[in-house]
Amino acid sequence: MKRLCASLYALVLLSVLSSLPPTQAQSSPAETRAIETRTMEPYYDIAKEVTLTGTVSTVLTRPSAGMIAGSHLVLATASGEVDASLGRWGLQGKGGLSVAAGEQVEVTGVHKTLKGRQVFVVRTVKADGQVYTMRNQHGIPVSPQARERASAKPAQKGDSL
Amino acid sequence: MNRKTCAGLLAFISLVFAFLTGCSSSSSSTPKVAITATSGGGQTAQVGAPFTNPLVATVNSNGSPASGVSVTFTAPGSGASGVFTTSGTATETDTTNSSGVATSSAFTANTTAGGYTVTATAAGMGGTSPAAFTLTNNPGAAAAIQATSGTPQNTVVSTPFTNPLVATVVDSYNNPVPGAGVPITFTAVPNQTGASGLFTSTATGTEIDLTDATGKATSSTFTANATAGEYNVVASFPGLTSANFVLTNTTVVVSANTYVFYLSGQEATNGGPNYYALAGSVTIDSLGDIVSNNNGVGGELDYNDGHGNTSPNEPAADTIAPGTASPTYGLTVNANGQGTLILTDSTDTNVGVGGTITLGVQFVNASHALITQFDGSATSSGSLDLQTATSLIGGGNFAFTLSGVDTGYNPIAIGGVVSIGSGVVTGTFDVNDDGTVFTGQTLTTGAASDPDSFGRGTVTGTQLAGTLAYYVVGSEAVRLISVDTNDAAIGSAFGQGSGAFTNASIGASVLAAAGNPWSTYNAEVGQFTTTNTGSDPASFSGVGEDNELGNGVASDPAAAISGTYTVQDSGVKGYGSLSINSANFGNVTTLGVYMTDPALNLNDPNNTSGGGGALVVDLSEDGSLPGTTGVLVPQTDTATGVFAGNYAVAWQNSNDFTTCQECEFDMVAQGSVTAGALSFTGQVSDPFFTLGTPDATSSGNTFTGNPLADSTNPGRYSMLSTNTIPNPLAAAIDGASGTFDLVLYQASGGQLFWLEYDGNSVFLGPLQQQNLTGIPATKDPAAKSAQPKQ
Repeated sequence: MKRLCASLYALVLLSVLSSLPPTQAQSSPAETRAIETRTMEPYYDIAKEVTLTGTVSTVLTRPSAGMIAGSHLVLATASGEVDASLGRWGLQGKGGLSVAAGEQVEVTGVHKTLKGRQVFVVRTVKADGQVYTMRNQHGIPVSPQARERASAKPAQKGDSL
Repeated sequence: MNRKTCAGLLAFISLVFAFLTGCSSSSSSTPKVAITATSGGGQTAQVGAPFTNPLVATVNSNGSPASGVSVTFTAPGSGASGVFTTSGTATETDTTNSSGVATSSAFTANTTAGGYTVTATAAGMGGTSPAAFTLTNNPGAAAAIQATSGTPQNTVVSTPFTNPLVATVVDSYNNPVPGAGVPITFTAVPNQTGASGLFTSTATGTEIDLTDATGKATSSTFTANATAGEYNVVASFPGLTSANFVLTNTTVVVSANTYVFYLSGQEATNGGPNYYALAGSVTIDSLGDIVSNNNGVGGELDYNDGHGNTSPNEPAADTIAPGTASPTYGLTVNANGQGTLILTDSTDTNVGVGGTITLGVQFVNASHALITQFDGSATSSGSLDLQTATSLIGGGNFAFTLSGVDTGYNPIAIGGVVSIGSGVVTGTFDVNDDGTVFTGQTLTTGAASDPDSFGRGTVTGTQLAGTLAYYVVGSEAVRLISVDTNDAAIGSAFGQGSGAFTNASIGASVLAAAGNPWSTYNAEVGQFTTTNTGSDPASFSGVGEDNELGNGVASDPAAAISGTYTVQDSGVKGYGSLSINSANFGNVTTLGVYMTDPALNLNDPNNTSGGGGALVVDLSEDGSLPGTTGVLVPQTDTATGVFAGNYAVAWQNSNDFTTCQECEFDMVAQGSVTAGALSFTGQVSDPFFTLGTPDATSSGNTFTGNPLADSTNPGRYSMLSTNTIPNPLAAAIDGASGTFDLVLYQASGGQLFWLEYDGNSVFLGPLQQQNLTGIPATKDPAAKSAQPKQ
């Protein structure tokens, strides 16, 4: 059984371990690496937060090729399609975001260029009247366990750490 | 470096650490009521049986009986205790009658013998003392004999065993049954080849010993006969279940050593993935047996996921059961130093698989191995090291780092320099707590307990954790693990030697750092040289790679890095920081630097070569890399010719391969580097099935390739699909195959680091040159047949 399945697993593994997009693999390293060049600014600058309203086109539990890690929503907004990054735990576990294509949502976050493409790094999502926290004020993804801890005790200074 | 020390932040951090360490303030009210134990105390009952009388407490308010007051009776949560009939638990609340009297329902002893106290508290009693009822659970009727100590043991043929055989009469719940004068018969049962032994008192294989007042019977000295092999001695008494002692006569001298292990990763149990940390020490003999100490314990461990699965008796450790090496227990390794260490946690069945933890082991040398949990319940990376001292460090300064999750289950890393003397811990530390960075914090004075026979002790009273357990590896190397129930972290403390440091203490170095399994998932590696070391700050420049999977950020290959650093030569000596001025290294801009003894190898503390360097913590001001810790290791030899021979290797990988976002898999392996070609074979732990392969654990996986030496940056190698001649690492894992893009940095021929440099997967790991002379428990098929054991 294992031998029969080996080729299938090989295909799966080949597809996931060779992670650089084919277009990158054709070029030299200096040209191909999708670089986020920074000028010593915060990874997530809360002062640059904006709120967008859009309709969910696609819910991605794992990234498509070229996207940054974690789960994503593809949103149709008045200014076009937006790749909204929810982080590694956005759609997972108790307290995770639950939305479907066609739903209207309000997302708060920061526009960034990551891996050579525009990404909206989401801190909170408002869906069906409820606000879901995807990241903290530094842009660090919030895990289901952290959401559980946060909801289990009254808020106090330091709880957001 | 922008260290912030303003009073407002200090006030804030005080609040934060009060929270982190579980401290809390509570309002108090003026005592208005008093409670007394009226009756029910001083009773005894047999284990599992009800006590004769209920527990009765009386509540008075200002001297008058108080009716309608809720009284809560609370029995111990573990050990000897009992349950109330009404609640079915160890706690029950009853209401006082018009006479102020509250009466419990029937109380039944649990199955553990011993004395204990049940308390009764009344609502509104404030700070007044609760009422106390002293109860005792007596053991039941004798049911069996238990082998208490002296098993397993080894000795050379025709020599006496070190310890006598001790058997205890126990009840059906394994409680010792006191009572002197029970004649226990010890009978040696020779194996098929005749291996056996004689008791001194009878000069035969049988003797009878009487139990003492505690129910224990102790044999005379038992001496192996001239035949090698494993066999049993049976302890028996009519009507009781017998006990077996496992003894082995060997043809070679069997020596035992204690090893300290520590590792962290992601657990798949307890609703995981969760972060978890595991540390412990275990005594293993040269045959791979887990050897008991005089108390019948083979070792100790602490397990903590900060999420409901924390070793239950903290601050006391879990105990590891002794046992004879076999395919299902103890240490078994092949001639290449690869195998498993299987341990039973006698205290906690929630760890591993029903309390049995299997570690994949890859020895680098006789005193050091790279390890991963390898049983499908969790996966992690860490090391196992020979314990060369059990005493706590007789004082002096230590650099330390800790990484894990805080009480909010968010990533945190802490680093600093502490002084330990006369059981008191003081120091200075930096912290990156879920992106909020504080530096130069003064450690509140903590208390360090003396270590036990396994080198384990605790540190309490600091902001680092409510309780830290420590395991001494050697006089200058200690493993640390937070054992609080609401947070979890692990790390190391290393001695600073003479403690004399300047900026010149850092020269050409390799930097290797990574986030923890619950952080952003990032790793960085690079190399640099230093200049202006007579100035403050000094300067550095070099190259490196940064891969921040979670942030979607990566550096260029061989990105130029430069900046300044400072190491304090007075005050808190060896405490410093490093700032990267260029924006080429992802989000890595500031590191806390904590210098260590130049003679101490941070990755192999018993290795007398490869020493020096520092521990580091990411303190980048934007806080985007919390939980990141690492090392600076002196770069002493960049020649490609010394990257040759046999190596033990490992990595801790996080990836986006499947729907389990950034879940982890780990590997340990071994092989050769010959004429520039590397070829390793090893074990992969993948309990989240991130690779899409069928098994949670697999062996015989291969990793091959030809690292390309970077002529512009000696010491750096690349294995990239984007090289002119693509040369990624080729992997064949559990029936599937694929490639990994990675870079390697060489500190010396003895130690290198590799970093995965892919877009949806990241790992950091060591490559350490092997010397397998004297490794314990070598049991490859050929060696196994040569062992005297059966």
